[in-house]
Amino acid sequence: MKELIKSLCEHIAPPGGERALSNELLEKVRDVAHQTSIDRLGNVIATKNGDGPHVVLMAHADQSGVMIMDIADKGFLRIIGAGNLEPGRLVGCQVVFQNGVKGVVQLEANTKDAEIRFDHLFVDIGKSSKASASELVHIGLSGVIVAPFTELGATRICGGSMDNRVGCAIAITAFRDLAAMNRHVSVVFTAMQTVGARGVGAATFALSPDLAIVVDAGPCDDVPGHDVSSTELGKGPIIQVMDGTAIVSVRIRRHLEESAKKKGIAAQFGVWPKGSADTDAGAIQLTKAGVAVGGVHYPARYVGSTSTVVDVQDAQNAAILIVEAASSYEG
Amino acid sequence: MLLKRLTQAMGPSGFEDEVRGILREEVSPYVDAIYTDVLGTLICEKGRSQPGPCVMLDAHMDEVGLMVVGVENSGLLRFRPLGGVDPRILVAKRVRIGSSKLPGVIGSKPIHLQKPDEQKHPIPEDELFIDIGAKDKEDALANVQLGDVAVFDTLYDTIGDGCVKAKSFDDRVGCYILSEILKKSYAVPLVGAFTVQEEVGLRGATAAAHRIAPDIAIALEATVCFDGPFVPSHSEGTRLHGGPALTVQDGRTVADVRFLRFMMETATKHNIPYQLRRVKGGSNDFAAIQKSREGVVGGAISIPLRYMHAPAQIVSSKDVENAIRLVDAILQEIASGNWVEERFAN
Amino acid sequence: MSDDISHLDTLIALLQQDGGPGTEEGVASIVKRAFGRYTQDIQTDVLGNVFATVQGTGEGKRPTVMLAAHMDQIALLVKAILPGGYLRVVQAGGFDARTLVGQEVLVHGRETLRGIIGSKPPHVTTAEERKRTPPLEELFIDVALSEERAKQLVHVGDVVTLASQPVHLLNRRISGKSLDNRTSIAILLECLRYLGDKPHEADVIMVATVQEEVGTRGAIAAGYREKPDVAVAVDVTWADMPEQPQDLSFKMGEGPSVTFGPNIHPKVFRALKDAASSSHMPWQLELSQGPTGTDGRAFQIAADGIATGVIGIAIRYMHTAVETGSYDDIETCAKILARFIQTIDASFVEGLTCY
Repeated sequence: MKELIKSLCEHIAPPGGERALSNELLEKVRDVAHQTSIDRLGNVIATKNGDGPHVVLMAHADQSGVMIMDIADKGFLRIIGAGNLEPGRLVGCQVVFQNGVKGVVQLEANTKDAEIRFDHLFVDIGKSSKASASELVHIGLSGVIVAPFTELGATRICGGSMDNRVGCAIAITAFRDLAAMNRHVSVVFTAMQTVGARGVGAATFALSPDLAIVVDAGPCDDVPGHDVSSTELGKGPIIQVMDGTAIVSVRIRRHLEESAKKKGIAAQFGVWPKGSADTDAGAIQLTKAGVAVGGVHYPARYVGSTSTVVDVQDAQNAAILIVEAASSYEG
Repeated sequence: MLLKRLTQAMGPSGFEDEVRGILREEVSPYVDAIYTDVLGTLICEKGRSQPGPCVMLDAHMDEVGLMVVGVENSGLLRFRPLGGVDPRILVAKRVRIGSSKLPGVIGSKPIHLQKPDEQKHPIPEDELFIDIGAKDKEDALANVQLGDVAVFDTLYDTIGDGCVKAKSFDDRVGCYILSEILKKSYAVPLVGAFTVQEEVGLRGATAAAHRIAPDIAIALEATVCFDGPFVPSHSEGTRLHGGPALTVQDGRTVADVRFLRFMMETATKHNIPYQLRRVKGGSNDFAAIQKSREGVVGGAISIPLRYMHAPAQIVSSKDVENAIRLVDAILQEIASGNWVEERFAN
Repeated sequence: MSDDISHLDTLIALLQQDGGPGTEEGVASIVKRAFGRYTQDIQTDVLGNVFATVQGTGEGKRPTVMLAAHMDQIALLVKAILPGGYLRVVQAGGFDARTLVGQEVLVHGRETLRGIIGSKPPHVTTAEERKRTPPLEELFIDVALSEERAKQLVHVGDVVTLASQPVHLLNRRISGKSLDNRTSIAILLECLRYLGDKPHEADVIMVATVQEEVGTRGAIAAGYREKPDVAVAVDVTWADMPEQPQDLSFKMGEGPSVTFGPNIHPKVFRALKDAASSSHMPWQLELSQGPTGTDGRAFQIAADGIATGVIGIAIRYMHTAVETGSYDDIETCAKILARFIQTIDASFVEGLTCY
């Protein structure tokens, strides 16, 4: 699992720019799938025909990033956000664009910390004129924060693209296991989730799942500053009750809970009001005349910041839970 | 003159009748089928049985406006905005109300009677009223009904070098471009949608896209242009006379990079100037169309517009002309089979 | 088919039943039983929307008219169990946190537990504290259990609802929780009662929708599933109170408000208005300038688009434990809708796409 996550983290995939990652994702599932495709919006889809209801695993492929909006006179770049990075957290960070060009994000002089908007940020790519900068980059080019995959001890890892390469790795693992069990299963690595779940609806419309399971980062509050924690790192996968986009039906939540029990996996419950953890679940649930949706998320600290911490054991258990829930689902 | 007639017509969101009437009359002779959907979007089909991808061209008919929601005993009318109106621009403007286009003015307390501090703050919406000259409530209600809508009373005319001014270029300029395109013929199935209710949440386009189920869609829009010398280049959005603007990202869309490259290459090939929209928010109907059904390829072509949503707006005639040329060139290229997704993949 | 027993008792039962967004099953079962008086064709979809269809008398392809009322009520969800066995909650729907302090609630855990939303007594609050209202994150629910016992009985994700029994006030006015929008469920039922054996060309689909309070979610799926020719959202609006904007305030007991604006098909608005006049029923005009805060917002843009209307009675103190409305208005609204249904025919439907 750790190696899989690591290899997925090597790609840059800002929203709308997921295609750099698409081939790698397809390679990880192609050998066990009957059909694979990349749809019009960039969703990567693999399907294994088999027994039982059609269960679709959904993990977003994109990560939050920035996009170049202007190249100014002295070769400084102006950027806007693409996803949910807070501008104030980017000051001093390095950014790498889709074409490999790197730069440093900095702040206009005389800006108070509390007021920082993307308007106040610029990127220095080491060029001294608009013309020379324009040889390297163009308006519309996207980038992500440089924060590589890093191991923190035996099971914990961190990096800028944990959200949601860990989810992709869980989905790949669960998809392969379910395919080996000859279940009717699809996996979708969705596009443009971080800008508001824009891709997943199209894939859901095409697949009409009997059950969709979303795999995403579940924010933990087990860090200093919280008087009590509702979700903790290392305490097992998080079964979604509610996020900002969807309330999971009691029937599906119970099924996931039972599946965890059956496998002897400790699970937690995720209750996230609007804005604190929005996922693809809502867009899936409200496709056509409604789709049964559940969420199995991995605990993640510092979601929305430039580096997220995850425990690989949680991810492994999430995959086991998903396989059990998907293979025992009767519709 | 079509653009003049369109911009002087009244059509706030949900009340697009006059605009629809002008467009129906204008394009009917040139299309195979023309009809309205249940929301009021005017759909025009042309060569739909031809082979090739179905292309949907979208322009919204509605504009921001006001709705009369109450009458004071004095005969002054209370109103609420329809769509995103900046209350600061309302004061001391003339409006036209209802289907009879009754004139009215939005007044305020004269400067002599204001406290010094009052002038520093915008006048809140609930302190603004429309005056139609009514003597009292009864007189007002004999002339307007609650629910009547109002728009700015602005005349279309030329201004400066190669520019025109009017209200509601957002998005009558798109309607104009779409009308001109529908007068031409292409070897590709084409559906023009003059949509309703863009300003209150891309609502007409949402339903229309589901019904039309296009393969490719292009929204024809107006976009922010604030290109004075006092504005840093990253805040100007677009430049007037800089050519039609293509989207890389806005509030609701990240560009379909392949189609963006195709449009850029087409512009270059046909010697048409273009620019990229450098905006931080905002959106247009393409955002809704893109997510329809199994997803739609495409983008938006936008006309730089100074003073969006304000009573008097400016566009460059050259930009409008070049937008028509660009849409024309893109349709020709699609018809010749030159839109091949893979070619623009990297 | 026709009967004389009003649905006042059904309404009281609905008001006594708890059902937040996503946990409407209990309400749904009352609704299904009540619909059962009028039709055997009752179905439930993936999200939990309940559909009851009464066939029309038209020949060939009949028009379809859907009336919808949401059956969920605003609720809270347990976010964490605090030391000492207290509960922290988040919103599932829009409460004004100021109305929650000191409120009695029910915690739907392994057992249904009584709870009280605690507050610091004035004796121990500072003058500064008394000037501000604590946000929901600072409130807690006291179930008077030990931490260990609380953790056994309550889990993160459990639903919390207001504990408020309905009470009859003067003039057939009723007060309680969840009049938003169980009064509109009563309207659908009364409408079926008034419709009785009267001929109507159109098929009538009555829908009790789910999850309106978290973003008209049930309606999005319901609209797509049925794709009716006409959809009318029945939902409550604001009754007049001093200091409220006049154009957003309506009189209780003077008939339902009928909405006009971009969200509403002009011909549906006219037909509702005409139905009120021809049945000699009072109504009030509600103006809206964009998508309404009702299921009608979703219906209008479902699939290829649906001709949408919005109607509803005015209630006071919306989104609190003491919402107050009038049964007279429920009956008036139902009579107007029954008349409206009878006017829907093929030529009306044909006219909906003629602009």
